[in-house]
Amino acid sequence: MSVIDRYAYVNRLRHIDPAQKAGLALLVIVLCLLLNRTVVGILAVGWMWVAATWQAGVPRRVFGRVLLAEGSFLALAAAGVALGVSASPPLGADWQWRIGSLWLSSSIAAVNHALLLVSRALGCAAAMNFLALTTPLVDVVELLRRLRTPVLLIDLMALIYRFIFVLLECMERIYIAQQSRLGYSTRRNAMKSAALLGSRLFLETYQRSQRMQTALESRGYDGDLRVLSITYRRDWRIVWLGIAMASSLLLAWLAG
Amino acid sequence: MVGYCNGQQPAASLAGGIAPILEADALFYNYAGRSDYALRGASLRLFPGQKAALLGRNGSGKSTLLLHCNGILQPERGQVRVAGAPMTYDRCGLKQWRHQVGLIFQRPDDQLFSASVMQDISFGPLNLGFSDDEARRRVQKAADQCGVGDLLDRPTHALSSGEKARVALAGVLAMEPLVILADEVIASLDPWMRRQVFDIFDQLARQGVSVLLSTHDIYIARMWADRIVVMDDGIVVAADVAERVLANMEELMQYKAGI
Repeated sequence: MSVIDRYAYVNRLRHIDPAQKAGLALLVIVLCLLLNRTVVGILAVGWMWVAATWQAGVPRRVFGRVLLAEGSFLALAAAGVALGVSASPPLGADWQWRIGSLWLSSSIAAVNHALLLVSRALGCAAAMNFLALTTPLVDVVELLRRLRTPVLLIDLMALIYRFIFVLLECMERIYIAQQSRLGYSTRRNAMKSAALLGSRLFLETYQRSQRMQTALESRGYDGDLRVLSITYRRDWRIVWLGIAMASSLLLAWLAG
Repeated sequence: MVGYCNGQQPAASLAGGIAPILEADALFYNYAGRSDYALRGASLRLFPGQKAALLGRNGSGKSTLLLHCNGILQPERGQVRVAGAPMTYDRCGLKQWRHQVGLIFQRPDDQLFSASVMQDISFGPLNLGFSDDEARRRVQKAADQCGVGDLLDRPTHALSSGEKARVALAGVLAMEPLVILADEVIASLDPWMRRQVFDIFDQLARQGVSVLLSTHDIYIARMWADRIVVMDDGIVVAADVAERVLANMEELMQYKAGI
């Protein structure tokens, strides 16, 4: 079970209606995209941090680690926006460095633009992290069902989600079996074993799907994966949190 | 309530419960691409509340027979009757059939498809056409019966193998069948978990549900079953009360049935 999946099942907001949590996350994403200010993105990260750690009880280091991973990718992208590389001396740059025959340059405007992009993207990512860490996929699927998403898509999502874990278990077993017989002792062996593992996994997937089809039929499957809806509770705290957060983001935008 | 198609009524209820609840008559079946028959006239009778063990070595046709008894496979020749009524393979007939005969598979991972335990157990009752409230009642009852009542909220991938086996069993019990076919379900369980599964089977048998357990293990059959059916090479070679079958150990040795 992945870390995100584990906290999604054990957090304090687990039984809150996923529509409320998704609504809150969506509100943050929309505000981050509409309100074009760096401070809005930073504030959104702060709010989502508070909601996930203080309200849902997700450990700060877990939320921080997930955000850091996304922040690292964003930092790489932001470097491309903030820095310019040219063969000739750059015009209008506030800082410039010569590296061999190339010029590396940057400007206050470019740095601000990069910061704006990073803060907005990080605000959106924090909102998605909040949703992922507080809402298991089964609840997201349930929400999509309520939103009248086509049944075929819902069924596919549910089966793919289930099969990810089944195949991961299977892959682990085959890997251990190969390792116990020196399957990964040399680079050549490792390449060969990995290829065999991949092909075996394809076969296993096919065979498992056949067996699952049989098992589903034995319980009356006739085309739809009908299962019970989950009952959730509504929580006014989420509503008040959403109002407070939206107000503060709007105020930050107006003040900025 | 689930209605019976075409006005069919279970004959056993009319006959006061003395007629066999499940009958397979001279079934023949050949898997595509195979030269030899997997079933060569296999016959089976199971009475209400009976605890029967289906013994036989690998490839003797046990699983194929169970798949026929649940309507997953259709025999080339022969007939399966449930509660005296011959089963049909149309949509309505199969629905009625699977309401009456439940099949539990050897590997719970093949049976558990849903993300949560509650949703997985609810699959059968909802397919039978029960309302959400009735399905919820059956889910809770079956889960409690199998000792997984406190796991309903858990994701299926986070269960231990013993819990998965019990959830798979609950998924079938929630359909409240008259017959339960268990295809080597105890093979991967530890002795403590086996005891729990046998307790559930015993409780079901006391309620009048027939249980047919496919196994390789003659000692388990001796300990638990009151009737033993031995299969070899696609046919039933012995079927009698446990003591009488086990009294003739030499015959069992001849068929390598679980020995």
